[in-house]
Amino acid sequence: MEINIENIYKNFDGKKVLKGVTLKIPNKKSTIILGKSGCGKSVLLKIIYKLIFQDKGVIKYNSEENVDINNFSMLFQYGALFDSLKVWENIAFQAINEHDNSINNLKEKVIENMESLGLTSDNFYKYPSELSGGMKKRVALGRALFKKPQVIFLDEPTTGLDPINSNLINELIVKTIKEKEITAITITHDIKSAIKTGDLFYYLEDGITEISDTCNNLFKTTNKKLNYFLKGEK
Amino acid sequence: MLLFELIGNFFIEAVRSIGKISYFMFLIFKYLFFPRFYINSNFNYLIKILLSSIPIVALTAIFSGMVLTLQSYTGFSRFSAETAIPKIVVLTLTRELGPVLAGLMVAGRVGASIAAEIATMRVTEQIDALKTLNTNFYNYLVTPRVIALVIIMPLLVTFADIIGVYGGYLISTLRLGFNETIYISNTINFISFEDYFSGMVKSIVFGFIIAIMSCYHGLYTGKGSFGVGSATTNAVVSSSVLILVFNYILTEVFF
Ligand SMILES: Nc1ncnc2c1ncn2[C@@H]1O[C@H](COP(=O)(O)OP(=O)(O)O)[C@@H](O)[C@H]1O
Ligand SMILES: [Mg+2]
Repeated sequence: MEINIENIYKNFDGKKVLKGVTLKIPNKKSTIILGKSGCGKSVLLKIIYKLIFQDKGVIKYNSEENVDINNFSMLFQYGALFDSLKVWENIAFQAINEHDNSINNLKEKVIENMESLGLTSDNFYKYPSELSGGMKKRVALGRALFKKPQVIFLDEPTTGLDPINSNLINELIVKTIKEKEITAITITHDIKSAIKTGDLFYYLEDGITEISDTCNNLFKTTNKKLNYFLKGEK
Repeated sequence: MLLFELIGNFFIEAVRSIGKISYFMFLIFKYLFFPRFYINSNFNYLIKILLSSIPIVALTAIFSGMVLTLQSYTGFSRFSAETAIPKIVVLTLTRELGPVLAGLMVAGRVGASIAAEIATMRVTEQIDALKTLNTNFYNYLVTPRVIALVIIMPLLVTFADIIGVYGGYLISTLRLGFNETIYISNTINFISFEDYFSGMVKSIVFGFIIAIMSCYHGLYTGKGSFGVGSATTNAVVSSSVLILVFNYILTEVFF
């Protein structure tokens, strides 16, 4: 699915968070939106997903404004796993609620899903609170992929993970996006992981998109703000 | 000027809250009429809140029944009307104390935990996650709690009535020297269906108030752990106040 985001504005109680964001998400590519913490990346992602609504601006999904958000799925910044449910119930949550398969069938599918994410079956009946940060992220990714979305939204998939887990998540993301031909939108401030997983890059600062480019050109940029961000200095 | 501003802001806030709550209630009714049941979550929830509230309701009811008896004795013995004690105890408990005490206890015990649970889900983006998994917040979280509380409150209040009357019976017979059979027959012969019925209507309304206020404050929580804390407090305070207000209104209705 191709998504066109045109001139999005969003205020919270008079505080201007997005001030005219324009960007294009190409079909079946991995698009990365970079930006400092607190610059409105999560807000933008939720607006694209239609979880919250913009004050101004249009978003077109395959050139239409309406879209069935059931084609989307999201990996939340902190996983957002349901803590009252077991790992397998989290992963199969929607399918269980929609009774679209027998429980035994679903359990088999969850085992497949978990295997592909390197989660062993002894985690099947655990609760999220018994998992490490890296495992939680993987379960959350499993839940996001379980319904086979057309577009996946990834909110800081590697933030808060150690380098090894963060690499693992990156590899899983690249693998699933390429294998299943999913359109991916990732927001992050982790440049290393962005380079590994992205095809196209945007940089967000002060509520507007500063620049868009491919990976090779990213580090040759003459944009001052992006340069500061990439080098981590002011 | 500051005073006017404060008063103005207060009224604007109040009207805004009433609007938000009314819309929230409209949605609840809408989803109550078109429910989608998630059997598991519903049933476990019913059992859990029933069990968790029984001890605290029993304790408050028995002590209130005992105090009520002693205090009525103090009053009625001054004009030798001790025989009215079983009647006044059962009347006060079924019409007033049972529903109000159980309501306040359940607001503190169950309402607080519902508000904290939903607020935590909001803060940790689990409510957003529900939406991304094609699951309606009202169907999944709100209506089961409304239904559970509206079913459970009458049961708890009936239980509180019985325990409270029993507390009165203990004090009257063991401490004040009443005859046991006479006390019991006085209680049973006196109470009418209308007394019990008005208590039941109150309990259903209170259950509804607790469910609405705790889900509402949980959903519209502020940010972080501070938000969860104030959502919980607001849920308990607002349900308690509304319970007392509606208790008066319903008492007028059944007067
Ligand atoms: N629901 C909300 N209410 C009020 N302010 C919000 C809300 N959501 C986000 N904000 C504000 O918008 C800004 C951007 O937040 P966010 O998109 O989460 O940043 P990030 O880029 O780190 O993901 C922050 O200053 C935050 O306080
Ligand atoms: Mg964020």
